Amino acid sequence: MSETRAPAGAAPPDVAGSGVEIVDGIAVERAPDGGMLAARLDRSTWWRRWLPRATGALLFVASLALVLTAQRDVGLARDEVLYMHQGKVYAAWWLDAVTGEPVLTEEKIDAAWGAGRVDAGNGEHPPLLKTMFGLSHALLHDELGVASERTAYRAPTALLQAVLVVLVFAFTLAVWGYAEGVIAALLVLLLPRLFFHSQLACFDAPIATLWFATVVAYYRALASRLWCLGLGVVFGLALATKHNAIILPAVVVAHYAWVSLWSRRRQWRGDRDRARDLLAGGRTRSRLALVVRMIGPTLREAAVGAARLRPLVFAGLIVVGPLTLFALWPRLWVHPGHVFDWIGFHLDHVHYNFEYLGDNWNAPPFPWHVALVTTLVTVPVVTLVAGGLGAGVLAARAWRGEAAFPDRAPALLIFLSFGASIGPFFLGSTPIFGAEKHWAPAIPSLCIAAGVGAVWAARRLGALVVERLAWARGRRGLVDGLAIAALGGALVAASAVETAASQPYGLTHYNALAGGAAGGADLGMNRQFWGVAAQGVLPWLRAQPPGKVYSHDASPAWGVYIKEGKLDAGHGDAGREDVGIGRSKYAIVVHELHFNRHDYMIWKAYGTVQPVLVLRAGGVPVVSVYRRP
Amino acid sequence: MPRRRDATIRAALRPSVAAAVTVAARVAPAVILLAVAAWEIVVTRGAPGEVPDDAAWGQAAAAVRVDHRPGELIVFAPPWVDPVGRMHLGELIPPDMAGRLDAARYPVIWELSIRGARSPDTAGLRAVSSRSFGGVTVRRFEQAPAEVLADLVALAPKATVRGKRARGPTVELAEVGFAPHRCAQLVPQPGETVTLDFGRLTLGGSIAGGVGLADVFTRRDVRDPGRLALKVDGEVVAERRFGVDDGWVRFAAATTPGEHAVEVELEAVGKGARDRLICFAAEVRR
Repeated sequence: MSETRAPAGAAPPDVAGSGVEIVDGIAVERAPDGGMLAARLDRSTWWRRWLPRATGALLFVASLALVLTAQRDVGLARDEVLYMHQGKVYAAWWLDAVTGEPVLTEEKIDAAWGAGRVDAGNGEHPPLLKTMFGLSHALLHDELGVASERTAYRAPTALLQAVLVVLVFAFTLAVWGYAEGVIAALLVLLLPRLFFHSQLACFDAPIATLWFATVVAYYRALASRLWCLGLGVVFGLALATKHNAIILPAVVVAHYAWVSLWSRRRQWRGDRDRARDLLAGGRTRSRLALVVRMIGPTLREAAVGAARLRPLVFAGLIVVGPLTLFALWPRLWVHPGHVFDWIGFHLDHVHYNFEYLGDNWNAPPFPWHVALVTTLVTVPVVTLVAGGLGAGVLAARAWRGEAAFPDRAPALLIFLSFGASIGPFFLGSTPIFGAEKHWAPAIPSLCIAAGVGAVWAARRLGALVVERLAWARGRRGLVDGLAIAALGGALVAASAVETAASQPYGLTHYNALAGGAAGGADLGMNRQFWGVAAQGVLPWLRAQPPGKVYSHDASPAWGVYIKEGKLDAGHGDAGREDVGIGRSKYAIVVHELHFNRHDYMIWKAYGTVQPVLVLRAGGVPVVSVYRRP
Repeated sequence: MPRRRDATIRAALRPSVAAAVTVAARVAPAVILLAVAAWEIVVTRGAPGEVPDDAAWGQAAAAVRVDHRPGELIVFAPPWVDPVGRMHLGELIPPDMAGRLDAARYPVIWELSIRGARSPDTAGLRAVSSRSFGGVTVRRFEQAPAEVLADLVALAPKATVRGKRARGPTVELAEVGFAPHRCAQLVPQPGETVTLDFGRLTLGGSIAGGVGLADVFTRRDVRDPGRLALKVDGEVVAERRFGVDDGWVRFAAATTPGEHAVEVELEAVGKGARDRLICFAAEVRR
């Protein structure tokens, strides 16, 4: 099925007898029963053909360049170092395998991919991104020499972030329009916390991409058999990226059930009317009785609709998806049961310490509002407001029966995607450490709604201007364009300012609603994790006389910093806990509430509470450095 | 007559009011979004400037150093700015002072605060002076200090210990409730009670103390609570049960001046209560 968009400002096509109607500015061809047959792309002018492609290409290049440039200032995350190492091992195994080396033995697979303990070979996380990190390193650094080791490892995440931006643009363009797509895509790119994660060789930004890609693939699969295969492959890639992809089938099932029922709405309405008549005959008008009576017909029509709609999507999800995961994870070739160990690991994951509203949380039950409040203070306020507005607009259109493409219900789909991603964090038992990175797949939905809301508001304003101002009459397209540019530009500018302010300590940043980093600290929100900020004190340390450094949470990255030349070998890591402090001449504390204990251990050993340097982000301490007196 | 005139005016106004409302409703979403965007840009760019810089802290610290005398307490607020405060004035804060039981024994308290925050150590006190240095407010508080007759933390290693314990007592600077506390730390065996017998001490009018579970990781992994009972001449005069989320729990007991037998009972409550790093401090006060 192809999709088209009515030319902005163009007169509606003659709908009489043509079966074509304009829904929310989209030219939709209807079947006699009201179902959508097709919506053709308007290719009447060259720029209508090329503008979306050029915009997509520009968004892709700009996103990739921005992330790759910015990541150089972001320190190494604790887990990232492990993923880099493991990725190198995985990549070497694949390269050996394709070059015919004898690595397809259980022994060699176990050695590279781990065996026994679930976390051996970093087996608690699926392999796709780590493999990509390793292959990228082999290609961009080892082979081509065009990137530093760090940049080469991080390039796949940056690439997937650029893919996400383009996917959001393309999906929104296809469903709601060009302006909506551009604004939504830029709001995704300029979302401080997602931008931060897109700079790391980790899985949190990539799963947002592959989650959304799965949603889009499913949407396409509803109209194309071939895309059912694509859906399976993309879902498999998502599974091979991060465990929260296992929630995705819930999105598909819920959405599929709705569109199945929608496809049978005429029959369902007939059943309902008959049920009403029966109940009226029995002199009861109870709504509850009607609901109970309609359960059977509803299930029947949903089943009929489901069978006729595109059941092949489930073959994609159930067969192709797991097969893709299996193909990408050699450990499963010899230990297929590891898939249960992997999921079990995350269902029984230890609760890391996390500060929220002034308290340290490391055991359930967690406050139900963690996801809500954290989103409210980390997403740019303009995105939240426009997203709320857009959600309202989409809901109102659906209520009025004017939703775009009701047969595939894209608005419902992004709403379900949002809910499935963030919903588990309202349960009070799902681990909250990492906060917004765990529900990053919700972000595209929010930004798409924001794009819709912003354009709706701008068009309302444009329509008023055309009505009220003489010079504007007959220039609806121009006025709308100016209003959209002004409003969209303002939203993007505000998001850009938030993102710029958040760099390079994105986890310390909070939005204007919170009052920036200091406002977040006042609220008692988590300061950071993974020891990323330690990189900020390296220039100072490097200028000091040699001496071992107690680096605590940054210790996994310490060797890499020395290898990169950011530190001299004389400033090596001193070791762990009290023994490390005892050996150290310098000590750093990465400020998180539960890391306060490191301060006290250092005070005791050094005999002073006075740091010689306190690195700050937005005025908020992120790393203290002590020097042994 | 006036009523008719009012009705005429209302009728005349109605269309224009309705039109204005309609226009406002159509303009409002765009205006709100533009206003929010402008506000967000201004607030975000201005936020770092809302936090005093090192120059301001340097001036404030210099002002404190002029009048500060040894034994005077220095505190910072809000808690998150504590590292910055210690960087500028840490040489005047010995580790034991940082890990104090409370502020009662200090005759003078210097509070350096930003963003309108206040330290709990100065709650209820009235500042005798207050000056501001680029957003850092320096307040000086004076109080009649509590006179400490005996420090049970210092005495703990020499106390007679009865009961099954995994280790301790030792004097530590420990994390309890994510704050530093100089304390006597003891780990009873799970489900066991350990008694620290301090012998006969010369008491004043009160014993003040605090207790809690040290170490965030053992608090996370084992959720069982602890219990402390303070006994004077065999009578329980203060008792506290403290869980993993309770932080530093204060206790106090009025005492009769003179020589009395003092004991502290520490219990790891429950058969699974392993690694209860019970950390307590107490002062005998006149």
